[in-house]
Amino acid sequence: MYEIVSSVRRDYIADLAREGKRIDTRTMDQFREVSVEVGPIKSAQGSALVKVGKTQVVAGIKVEHAEPFPDKPDNGMLVVNAELLPLASPTFEPGRPSENAIELARVVDRGIRESNAIDLDKLVIKSGEDVWAVFIDIYVLDHDGNLIDASALAAIAALLNAKPPEDEAWTLPEFPIQKRPVAVTVAKINSKLMIDPCLDEEGVMDARITIATIEDGSICAVQKGGIGCFSREELEQAYEMARAEGAELRAKLG
Amino acid sequence: MLYVQNRELVVPGQLIAEGSYNVREGAFREGKQVYASVVGLAELRGQDIRIIPLQGRYIPKPGDVVIGVVVDSYYSGWILDINSPYTGNLFVSDLLRRKVDLVREDISQYLSMGDVVVAMVKDVNERMRVQLEAGEPGMGRVKGGKLVEISPAKVPRVIGRKGSMLNTLQDVGECKLRVGQNGRIMIWGKNPRMINAVVEALLMIEREAHISGLTDRVHLMLEKIKSEGGE
Amino acid sequence: MKKPEKLIENGKRLDGRVPDEMRPLKIEAGILERADGSAYVELGANKVLAAVYGPREMHPRHRQQPDTAVLRCRYNMAPFSVDERKRPGPDRRSVEISKVTREALESVLFLELYPRSVIDVFIEVLQADAGTRTAGINAASVALADAGVPMRDMVSSIAVGKIDDTIVLDLTKDEDQWGTTDMPIAMVPRKKLVTLLQMDGHFTKEEFGQALGLAFKACEQIYGIQRQALREKYAIKQEK
Repeated sequence: MYEIVSSVRRDYIADLAREGKRIDTRTMDQFREVSVEVGPIKSAQGSALVKVGKTQVVAGIKVEHAEPFPDKPDNGMLVVNAELLPLASPTFEPGRPSENAIELARVVDRGIRESNAIDLDKLVIKSGEDVWAVFIDIYVLDHDGNLIDASALAAIAALLNAKPPEDEAWTLPEFPIQKRPVAVTVAKINSKLMIDPCLDEEGVMDARITIATIEDGSICAVQKGGIGCFSREELEQAYEMARAEGAELRAKLG
Repeated sequence: MLYVQNRELVVPGQLIAEGSYNVREGAFREGKQVYASVVGLAELRGQDIRIIPLQGRYIPKPGDVVIGVVVDSYYSGWILDINSPYTGNLFVSDLLRRKVDLVREDISQYLSMGDVVVAMVKDVNERMRVQLEAGEPGMGRVKGGKLVEISPAKVPRVIGRKGSMLNTLQDVGECKLRVGQNGRIMIWGKNPRMINAVVEALLMIEREAHISGLTDRVHLMLEKIKSEGGE
Repeated sequence: MKKPEKLIENGKRLDGRVPDEMRPLKIEAGILERADGSAYVELGANKVLAAVYGPREMHPRHRQQPDTAVLRCRYNMAPFSVDERKRPGPDRRSVEISKVTREALESVLFLELYPRSVIDVFIEVLQADAGTRTAGINAASVALADAGVPMRDMVSSIAVGKIDDTIVLDLTKDEDQWGTTDMPIAMVPRKKLVTLLQMDGHFTKEEFGQALGLAFKACEQIYGIQRQALREKYAIKQEK
């Protein structure tokens, strides 16, 4: 199933974009209202509920024993999984994860993995035999656009909230988080760039680019999506938008 | 014997009355008792009991004006999404109001995928197959403007008593509106700021339909935005 | 946790409740934007969301029924809702619960009003502490009403069981694990008709009767809270 975007709505959003305006009256570099609630799920080691406008995502952390990958005997494991729950949108269907769900999980995974947000070197119990696996489960509850940024923010907020497992094999004083990657998505409509596309804008956009940055403003992960293209200048402009907004979002992590 | 007041909020399964009343939409009878089947406002008029629903999908009925979006086409017409569990069929002859020789004429010139169409429900059969017509003046393909969707149950509030709310939206908002019974509303106007103000007003009506003094609040809000000026 | 010596001491259960006491129940209607109807339920430490979509067009088309709507239910647990991470996706338990939930709800719906369509009910358990199917049914029932689906009545649900030879209402996970009997039940409160009943464990004839009595009383109470949740969302408020 797909969302029907009528020609009238498409034209309206595209015409507004040309004038630097948006359907919900935001400015081009204005993120929707963001709230971060940490620890709502007590059965998880860490959790966070993030709202971006009407979009709602909850992330839960589980830390469990696992056998390490043969080529990484001295590393803990990170597993990111995302569920586009059928309760979140009329277009989401039950069943195996869709390609959108898998892309979402992988983009969030990359931001956390490549920034070394979790010190996986420390999550070894016995080399080659027993390590800690960190599961990040992303649960999309209400889909009103820009799931990537909401999910990435929920994931890092949940990690920062994570308590060590109650297990005698755990010897670290706390959960080893060392970086705070934050993803920001910029959409392109009618040759104009706008941050944090809402659902209507996602239905119309030519392309999007998600840039995850860390504290010093450097990039740790990027994902371009959609069939449209970006010029070099646009990429640099998008990076600048993502860097500035990334700092704002990071401030919400406390 | 009535157990609720007129305009009282009721919930499914709630006892409304006992006795020989006429049971209309939103209510059902079990023996002597009449119960509500939906969340809504009880309307008690003479012997008639109906519940005005506060939620729910649009179910088409003949004579309704709806705003549809073309989602598919076939050799002699189109299928329109009408924001309902049921799609609407529009024959090309019911759009053009004339006989069409399908061998000679390419009907794709009249409507394409994604086009927005103002139509009237011509017929609904017992299997809920819906026939539309769109040949009257003011109907057919929509050009320009902004399309807004609200809960179909809130449409009566957008129109208001004797059209009072709709007049406020059009006059103070300086826009022209076309309201579909299926919760879709088209807005046309010169000033994008006022179009957005009317959209805001519609969302406010949807959100606050159950809070008293709505027409006044909508009026005030639109006046305020208008007085701020600019585009 | 090890099995405590006693599950009931001086008439009080592990969490301080008396035998016929339900855990705190909180219900909120209409909390999701996209769904046609929704509800959030907290029953003790259970946190459950339900969403309703429909009536909407049935896909695939060959599953349409010419004279009625079809009700579909999906009960699902979040991986982080239980102590040990649950693998995502349906397992045998959730498939069974989805089925009995659908059957518990179906009899109150006027499905014949919407030929060829489908009504989808999605139940997501975010945090589990025994009794999730009952919390799910309570949530689904409110979500259906919030979606404007015509209903003969609500459906209310609770579990009863036996611990330390005592009949108790609304078991926690620990009580379920260490007790001898668990019996989830759902009913149409107005007519006092049971639409879901499952049981595992052991009851004598007297205990069964006593358990039903407790459940019926609790469902009355839940029914009130469900209606209140709907009233709170839709009540006419005076302008401030």
